[in-house]
Amino acid sequence: MGIVMPRQLIGFAAAVRLGWAVSSNWTRPILFVTYAVLRPISVALILAVMYSVITHNAAAARPYLAFLIIGTAFWSFIQEGVSEFATGILEDRGRYHILKYTYMAPLGFPLFLVGRATSKLASAAASVVIVLVVGTFALQLSISPLRIDYPLLIAACVLAFISVIAFAITLSMVLLAGKDTHGYGEIMAQFLYLFSGAIFPIAVLPGPIAWLAALSPLPYWLELCRRSILHGQVYQMFPSLSDGEVLLRLVIATAGTVVLGYVIYRWTDRRARGLGYIDMEANW
Amino acid sequence: MTTALENVDLRVGQGELFGVLGPNGAGKTTLIKILVTLLLPTSGEALVDGLDVVRDYKHLRSRISMVSGGEQAGYGILKVREQLWMFSQFYGMNSKAARRRIDELLERLGLAEAANKQITGLSSGMRQKMNLIRGLMTDPRVLFLDEPTVALDVGAARDVRSEVQRWMREDPTRTVILTTHYMQEADELCDRVAIVNRGRIVAEGAPRALKESVDEDVIVDLQLDPGTPLLDLLRAIEGVGAASVREEDGVDRFSLLLADDAILPRVMTTVESAGRRVSGLVRRQPTLEDAFVKLVGRSMTEEEA
Ligand SMILES: Nc1ncnc2c1ncn2[C@@H]1O[C@H](COP(=O)(O)OP(=O)(O)OP(=O)(O)O)[C@@H](O)[C@H]1O
Ligand SMILES: [Mg+2]
Repeated sequence: MGIVMPRQLIGFAAAVRLGWAVSSNWTRPILFVTYAVLRPISVALILAVMYSVITHNAAAARPYLAFLIIGTAFWSFIQEGVSEFATGILEDRGRYHILKYTYMAPLGFPLFLVGRATSKLASAAASVVIVLVVGTFALQLSISPLRIDYPLLIAACVLAFISVIAFAITLSMVLLAGKDTHGYGEIMAQFLYLFSGAIFPIAVLPGPIAWLAALSPLPYWLELCRRSILHGQVYQMFPSLSDGEVLLRLVIATAGTVVLGYVIYRWTDRRARGLGYIDMEANW
Repeated sequence: MTTALENVDLRVGQGELFGVLGPNGAGKTTLIKILVTLLLPTSGEALVDGLDVVRDYKHLRSRISMVSGGEQAGYGILKVREQLWMFSQFYGMNSKAARRRIDELLERLGLAEAANKQITGLSSGMRQKMNLIRGLMTDPRVLFLDEPTVALDVGAARDVRSEVQRWMREDPTRTVILTTHYMQEADELCDRVAIVNRGRIVAEGAPRALKESVDEDVIVDLQLDPGTPLLDLLRAIEGVGAASVREEDGVDRFSLLLADDAILPRVMTTVESAGRRVSGLVRRQPTLEDAFVKLVGRSMTEEEA
């Protein structure tokens, strides 16, 4: 991706603004409320109610309830960053017919994509906070903003942010290099949902899938989010690992995601250009 | 596998306004896409402003820009000025200088009043002018225009053409490569043109030189009332170099290239024996269209058999 020069910085800032203006939901309040507030809250509450019914609301089940709510709240990052964003890039090509022009711009397409995705993730952060607040009151979780381990939470979220962006821009290029890939972004997000430890610990997955899930940064990130918000009062996926050890795994998995993402990006970029798909008119 | 382009060997000089002419599917867009780094050639080499389109694509991108016609490009919810400014930033332009340049170009293309309008609300002519501004504002060394006036009304097409000409005059080192299937546009604008058909270059030269290739021929326009098909019969006559037809206002207008005057009586006999009535006949000067028909064997608008 080269060294970031001042020229590229101003281009990057414009890409952030573009993402903000074109696809961050909160410029359209109804869409924001529907997708970033109502959707994640209903998912969280449905899961919580189901769980409460099954466990007869037993006190011993509280740590797992907290596990569920924090997992679904932070899931907005993946929903927005992966699914919505990759779909947005296909829209740039098929609906706005403008992708080829941004692709050709000297800013560099990867940097453009990172900028374009940033506002999505910012609106996802707002959604996380809202779902946590609503979940805390509705289910009387003992979350207090004063007891959160902010340094740990921020470190975990910065690393997750890097992974999600790397994943999202790689996925965008993969979708651009394919023919009828509309809707695949959504499917991808659902797929990740299942083995990220958002709603159940990855250990319950069948052997090889659990092993694969343990290579991804997402379970470590969610584990750290939960620990930093509710130390000791939340179900842990990796009880034998200290906070530092989970963080280390998150760092390694994030680095792996970035490297693998870059390799795949390069390869699919060549494929998309070889097939002339950057300005494909179909697919919308 | 079909081959979109084959054995294309072209050299365009700095400062030239070069036209690529050809019917639908000839390979014009494919050629442009390779030159602007959107498509990798399967073989061969192409240099733009001295840079290889495959190896040096990163450096090349800051020296070129492209505008395609016939598409509704733009983020609908952005305002015209806003979108243009964002693109100027992707090219690393100084923000203030970019705003000044954008306003100047908006003014010149008659879009000043639409500057704060949402792109959704623009007519297709206005959108195309906005796209032209996007292509011009970054001051590229080489500007690629892929059918820039397609589907525009007469006035908008004229504005686009004259702005391109003005931009070229402003700095004689600028270069434009333009594709079109409007013969008159190529004739009016281009210093040189290449005629492309089925992925191959069939002729190359100044419009005047290409017209001279049909100088020896007698060019006749025949106007006939509708009737039985005649084109193949006319083409079969010995001495008829090429023939094309288009329907206009309920009459068929044939253009014929004849080796000499002596062929005309034979043509009239064929027309009469087919039972068609002649309502007009003129002999005229050759156009680029005639050169095209002679080289390609059919007119630009005629579908390939
Ligand atoms: N991505 C692609 N892969 C394979 N073949 C393609 C691709 N894009 C275009 N073609 C084919 O290449 C040929 C040339 O197409 P191209 O779009 O370059 O023509 P054109 O001269 O621009 O035509 P038009 O006047 O319709 O724009 C056509 O036969 C087309 O079907
Ligand atoms: Mg074309």
